[in-house]
Amino acid sequence: MRNRFFRTEGFRLSALFAGVFALSFVILGGFVLVITNQALRDQIVAFSATDIAAIRDGYAHEGEYEAREVINQLMAAPASSGFYLLQRNGKVLDGNLPAMASRAGTLDVTAAGHKILGTGAFLASDLYVFSGSDTTRLQAVQAHLLKVMLGLFAAALLLAVACGALVSRSFLRRTDAMATACRDIMNGNLKLRIPVRGTGDELDRLAEAINDMLSRIAALMENLSQVSNDIAHDLRTPVTHLRHRLERAQADSKSVEEHRAALEAAIAKADEILGLFAALLRIAQIEGGARRAAFAALDLGALLTQMRDLFEPVAEEAGHTLELTNPETLTVRGDRQLLVQLLSNLIENAIVHTPQGTHIRLSLARDHDRAVVRVSDDGPGVPREEHERLFRRLYRREASRSQPGYGLGLALAAAVAELHGADISIVGDAKPGLVVQISFPLPSNHPENA
Amino acid sequence: MKILLIEDDPETAAHIVYALKGAGHDITVCHDGLEGLEAARAGGHAALIVDRMLPRLDGLTLVRRLRDEANNIPALFLTTMSGLDDRVEGLQAGGDDYLVKPFAFPELLARVHAITRRGNTPSAEPVRLCAGDLEMDLIRRTVHRAGKAIDLQAQEFRLLEYLMRNMGRVVTRAMLLENVWDLHFDPRTNIVETHMSRLRGKVDRGHGDELIHTVRGSGYILRAE
Repeated sequence: MRNRFFRTEGFRLSALFAGVFALSFVILGGFVLVITNQALRDQIVAFSATDIAAIRDGYAHEGEYEAREVINQLMAAPASSGFYLLQRNGKVLDGNLPAMASRAGTLDVTAAGHKILGTGAFLASDLYVFSGSDTTRLQAVQAHLLKVMLGLFAAALLLAVACGALVSRSFLRRTDAMATACRDIMNGNLKLRIPVRGTGDELDRLAEAINDMLSRIAALMENLSQVSNDIAHDLRTPVTHLRHRLERAQADSKSVEEHRAALEAAIAKADEILGLFAALLRIAQIEGGARRAAFAALDLGALLTQMRDLFEPVAEEAGHTLELTNPETLTVRGDRQLLVQLLSNLIENAIVHTPQGTHIRLSLARDHDRAVVRVSDDGPGVPREEHERLFRRLYRREASRSQPGYGLGLALAAAVAELHGADISIVGDAKPGLVVQISFPLPSNHPENA
Repeated sequence: MKILLIEDDPETAAHIVYALKGAGHDITVCHDGLEGLEAARAGGHAALIVDRMLPRLDGLTLVRRLRDEANNIPALFLTTMSGLDDRVEGLQAGGDDYLVKPFAFPELLARVHAITRRGNTPSAEPVRLCAGDLEMDLIRRTVHRAGKAIDLQAQEFRLLEYLMRNMGRVVTRAMLLENVWDLHFDPRTNIVETHMSRLRGKVDRGHGDELIHTVRGSGYILRAE
């Protein structure tokens, strides 16, 4: 716990701030000490200069006697902390200091056990006067100042550490709550969400993002389990049929020919089931979107012409007609193999699910920035309320249960369309027939589409 | 013909061995990729049937290595269903054809025959194909039967060309869909049958002996007596 606490981002940040604060405090404190020292010294020097001026004034008016008089008066003043000296040629005339070297200007002198700061001056060429004060007081002030600052520094540092601890504790408490929630979700409680405080701070925003992600995953998983349920359910039907067939063959077949026919039928059924698996896997793969990497520019008009050539004889043999109207040159980006399968599924639907004599029409037209492909027929059509369901996996209309197929053709077409960013829908203007429309986005930068 | 089969699933391997032995071929089976690679390097086989997923060395890498060593043994990939890109990857790795499991025996036999024939073809592309009194000029894109011109549409021409290039060998519906129309799924309508019947109407009708024959349960064959 302790270890973890020191490793939190909150603690790290407050430690950094405490460090920066301490450094600035030290710089500021040093600066204050130097400034106050200088100010106090300036004050002492100013006082002594005033004294010297008074003594010099006395000497100027009434000579050496008056100078000594002024010095004695100054020394006798109440609360005087001054040190004075008047000497002639190194011989003390008056004052409370021993003889010293005669130097004019601001001086630091050590005499009689005191550190003295003051001003020296010559009243005459052989008459020297000095006035100064003890600096011990100055040092005491400095020491006091330092003590106060150290106290403040310690208090501030303590406060910073305490704040850091508080911040990281609350941070840790919230991230711990998030981690706990995540772990609970991981352990299977998928309905759980990360707690949000509602303050809209960065942790809340993170929690909201995670919650959105969880909701999306949950929706996808639900969809997935729905689909796999459907698949498991719908796959049982053909496998059951296969079993029935084999059972009947075992019971009823009398001749070798009958056995052979039953086996052939069973193999065909097994192939259908395998085809169903393959189609489901293919849809899943297309929905996974991996194929987008193989996209290339391709001309829809040319593709439709090929589809017409491929299916026209097939339609004719089934007693239908298949025509292609105004194939423009419109270039889209896509996967040729998948688009061929999409169009094949739609055309084959039209051939398989309509009565003889039905006209099937392919068309391609430009609508602003879309290329619109239509596969229409004038057959019996599909009621409007079923249109949505037609694109679902494994959805088969009552009317078409006797036809081959498992209701994956349109689901695959929808998956391919979505991969291409195209809208696939059933439009209802070919009364009573069926019109499936796929509207592809046209890449705006392609020269042929200009 | 001696065929090397590299397949790790014993049931599938037994199934293929049964089919190929029945057709009079001699099969060697290897159960993992490295063993298979050694056997293929040793030579003496006319064709290689290799599963995509193998222990120790996968089929794609195996064939790629053989091709890097300039070993051009005809190779047929086997794969489980689904893979949209599997076919392209297989051909890019140097495979000659590609078959999705599960498959019917005739499909396997037809494809093995087709790739071994391909392996023996001289590298120069022919400019004319002949089958009995049927002649195809690949440059002028014309077809004559007994000296009389036959008018074929583009896809009928491609269909006949494929049959003629595989003369004397069975071609299956799937092979035709893939190679003539580039369709890689199982259509619900009888595309192949319809186009084949149109082609036969043009090529064989009015001539005494038929060249294009249906092989029941397998596909078609173009045969000149």
